Amino acid sequence: MDMKRDYYEDIELCKSDTVLVATIAALLALIAIPFFVGDYSLYIINLIAINSIVAIGLNILVGYTGQISLGHAGFFAIGAYTSVLLMVKLGLPFVVAFPAAGFVAAGFGFILGLPSLRLEGPYLAIATLGFGMAVTQIISHTEFTGGHMGIHAPPMSILGFVADTGPKQYAIIITTTVLLTIAALKLFKTRVGRAFVAIRDSEIAAEAMGINITWFKTLSFAVSAFYTGLAGALMAFSLEHLSTGSFNLILSITFLAMIIVGGLGSIMGSILGAALLTYLQIKLQIIQEAPVIGPLLMDISSRYFTREGLPNIQSIIIGGIMIAIVIFEPLGINGIYLRIKRYWRMWPF
Amino acid sequence: MKRLLLCVFAILLCIIVVIPVYSEDKVRGVTDTEIKIGQWGPQTGPAALWGAVARGTGVYFDLVNSEGGIAGRKIKYYLRDDGYQPAKTKAIGKEFIDDIGVFTVVGGVGTSTGMAVRDSLMENEIVWVGPLTGSDNWTEPLQKYLFAIYPKYTDEAYLLTEYTAEKLGKKKIAFFYQNDDYGKEGLKGAQKWAKKAGVKLVAEVPVEVTDTDLKSHALKMKQSGADAVIMWVLPKHAAIILGTSKAAGFQPQWVACSTLSDSAMMYNITKGLWEGVIFGNFLDMDNPLIKKYKAAQEKFAPNEKYTGVFFLAGFMFAEPMVEGLKRAGKDLNTQTFVKALETIRNWNDWLGHDCTFTPTDHQGMKSIFVSKCGPKGEPVRLSDWITFTDDKK
Amino acid sequence: MSIFLDLVIGGVSVGACYALIALAMVIIYKTTEVPNFAQGEMAMVAAFVAFTMMDDYHLGFWMSATITLVFSFLLGCALEISFLRPAKDLNILGAIVITLGAEMILYGLAGWKWGANQNPFPVPFSEYDGFRIGSALVTEINFWTFVTSVVIMLLLFLFFRFTKVGVAMKAVQQNMFAAKAMGIPTRRILTFTWGLSSMTGAVAGMLIAPLATLDPNMMLDPMLKGFAGAVLGGMTSLPGAAIGGYMIGLIENFFGGYISLEFKSVVAFAVIVLILCFKPSGLFVKHFERKV
Repeated sequence: MDMKRDYYEDIELCKSDTVLVATIAALLALIAIPFFVGDYSLYIINLIAINSIVAIGLNILVGYTGQISLGHAGFFAIGAYTSVLLMVKLGLPFVVAFPAAGFVAAGFGFILGLPSLRLEGPYLAIATLGFGMAVTQIISHTEFTGGHMGIHAPPMSILGFVADTGPKQYAIIITTTVLLTIAALKLFKTRVGRAFVAIRDSEIAAEAMGINITWFKTLSFAVSAFYTGLAGALMAFSLEHLSTGSFNLILSITFLAMIIVGGLGSIMGSILGAALLTYLQIKLQIIQEAPVIGPLLMDISSRYFTREGLPNIQSIIIGGIMIAIVIFEPLGINGIYLRIKRYWRMWPF
Repeated sequence: MKRLLLCVFAILLCIIVVIPVYSEDKVRGVTDTEIKIGQWGPQTGPAALWGAVARGTGVYFDLVNSEGGIAGRKIKYYLRDDGYQPAKTKAIGKEFIDDIGVFTVVGGVGTSTGMAVRDSLMENEIVWVGPLTGSDNWTEPLQKYLFAIYPKYTDEAYLLTEYTAEKLGKKKIAFFYQNDDYGKEGLKGAQKWAKKAGVKLVAEVPVEVTDTDLKSHALKMKQSGADAVIMWVLPKHAAIILGTSKAAGFQPQWVACSTLSDSAMMYNITKGLWEGVIFGNFLDMDNPLIKKYKAAQEKFAPNEKYTGVFFLAGFMFAEPMVEGLKRAGKDLNTQTFVKALETIRNWNDWLGHDCTFTPTDHQGMKSIFVSKCGPKGEPVRLSDWITFTDDKK
Repeated sequence: MSIFLDLVIGGVSVGACYALIALAMVIIYKTTEVPNFAQGEMAMVAAFVAFTMMDDYHLGFWMSATITLVFSFLLGCALEISFLRPAKDLNILGAIVITLGAEMILYGLAGWKWGANQNPFPVPFSEYDGFRIGSALVTEINFWTFVTSVVIMLLLFLFFRFTKVGVAMKAVQQNMFAAKAMGIPTRRILTFTWGLSSMTGAVAGMLIAPLATLDPNMMLDPMLKGFAGAVLGGMTSLPGAAIGGYMIGLIENFFGGYISLEFKSVVAFAVIVLILCFKPSGLFVKHFERKV
């Protein structure tokens, strides 16, 4: 079944009928969700979708092209502010401001990509990190952007369809997410995507094959920033109020953690990682109310630690997951999935 | 075989999707025996220091419940940690509205976090009493379901600058502020007074939240020749700037805003430098109620390490709410609660001063008083309550 | 003129703290090629241990400092053994993620154990008195911070140059397999490296804590600046890293003093990105082009 007979079979999105059926079922489920769950769950799903877009974008850069970025919160902020400012200050409609957010972020990605051509490892990490910090600092000191006070985001609207409720926001966010996911899947079946992968595996070999490293590396930064910028715009509209405090280094680290946990070089993995970490971040803060673990943790806290410090366990758990993934399953959740798939293929033998 | 498995998975998926369907009750969050009240407070992250407020509120509600509750109803309190991240606060807001279904929300630290949920709380007609910052955003423009208690930073800065200039007789006043909404609102108030009095602040020095090395800040203020500096910063920065300035040979009269009003704690972390600092207060530590509240803390939260001003502020910011709930009585819903809150006039049976809500003004408290830190870190009261009256606007 | 001197002194004294963190990071990077993002939190935990010794057990400063150094050595070793040793075929990204994970765990543990309250960190040097150079005051703590950083740098230099273990650490960095073949216990060397680095970081933590206040967020900013200093000087050069740390401190203070306080905390990063454009491996390290 895995054998590809010709090129066109290789670039097909759905490799078999089973995959096709599963995809359609998943899409139907996505459509059905708002009819069954409440506003709160819908908001969490929206967050997951937004984070998935960032994770996919970051994965294109880190997982597929082999670069490092600790500054994606910067692109996220650029996207968020671009879309909101275009709408509030220039009065542009959402359909213009939203893609503009992606393109402006991509422009910055391209600029950041240029110095990073010569950098690697910790040098690249600190350069991107500095970029991320500089962006928020500059935004928060510009009166035009609302400064530290923040700025109010108008509701999203497409040709008269105003997304002022949870389900309507969900509709726009999920549609964008699905489209961007498919685009990413498609990307790696084209020349560009394959060039990214070649650069990751060996820069020199890629260059020898005639891949223009300079162009494709900066392009990878730009594509990654494009995704992140769009996600930032969606985040702005779903938060309704923008302020720079939320785009910090911790956010960049969280994005990186998502793709590590989900699986490097895997679109599905990006989504799974984003889903897991977003869910944990929301839910872990009430761990003391969990049935069995809660009282146990409270007991441990009052004996060896402090009770009021217990919520800090969030960062311990997320840090632990990050380390465990790198040590035991470098391919992340996606790796676990692949192994289970292989196991079932042989089943029951 | 695989088809079968696929079917099983599909069915499971459907069940998972269908299960969480919630039913709505009549008045959200109120039954004959219970009132659900929520609060978010940063227990982790950069603002975790202020997490004590939300824990204090919890103890206060325990106290109210142990005294028989309100009109036969007990308070059920939901404390959530937002880590000072607006995205999380928003999720908590949705959880309060949609998942738990709280009747009302109390407190909540942070302006940007609060702004992320303000509109959705208002749209869902959830009363929110006493956000824990003195931001202008709570009452301008008037929100029907939002009742602010914390004296506005702009008003407080106005009063403190006025006090520094007129009562302390300082001529050259510098302003040292955190470069965000909190510090800038303070600066705005000070500038307003300066404009009215026809003088200029000799220096306006911003500090970033992440800064640790404040040498150049101290030198800037020293250069300006200020004889008094008003601080609108975090405790950490207040401590660092006092030490650094002393090392740089710059010792003006320090004046601190009410977020630094826990003089015992400040005395401790500055290793004694806080002595002689003058600061604004919103919470009256000499109030007889304090004794009762401390006893409650020992009973309900004996492990609490920090029981200073901000732990007690958790009590204070819930007091007008409980008073409102009491006044609304047995027939409790959002409209009766709002009406009851708006009957509170010059109410003084609490840790603050002159709580007043009217249908056109939801800023409950407009007064501060000024204290000085004594030689052992104890506050020495210098003035009576000073109110920001309308003629100062 | 006097403000110039004041700014120099301020820059050098905060730069000394950055330099110590930079040194700690370089020790690890030099030997294992792991950029240690957990360095700051390791130092913060060490400072908390020293504080607990003084506050709860009423030990003297020097006694507490000694215990803390031993503790931090063990902490570094423990982190290496439990997190880095089990990871196979670690690439740079994996290393960054593991140390970030360790950072989050340490941060969480500190918050859980000691809470979010700020604590004063007493030291036997005065923070306000000292001697004067011209009109500018050099406080005792500024002076000793500077001396400590220089002494530690010298000690490390001598250690890497003249001791057997130091040379072995160099060997491990250059070629792990050859080093193993020559009979160097590479695993023990790696563990020792982390211990050594953690100790250096702990000294930095104990010097920064009295200048700021002790709380779990204390090291976030100094650690980034220290890292920036290390990158500026070059991640594989000990003196380079130290000089990088001092430079960051000076740049920040001059920028804050003469140009703008608002962008003081990010100017260091802007300078770094600019310098890296021209010297991709830092100022004091020769850039190697990767070969086939």
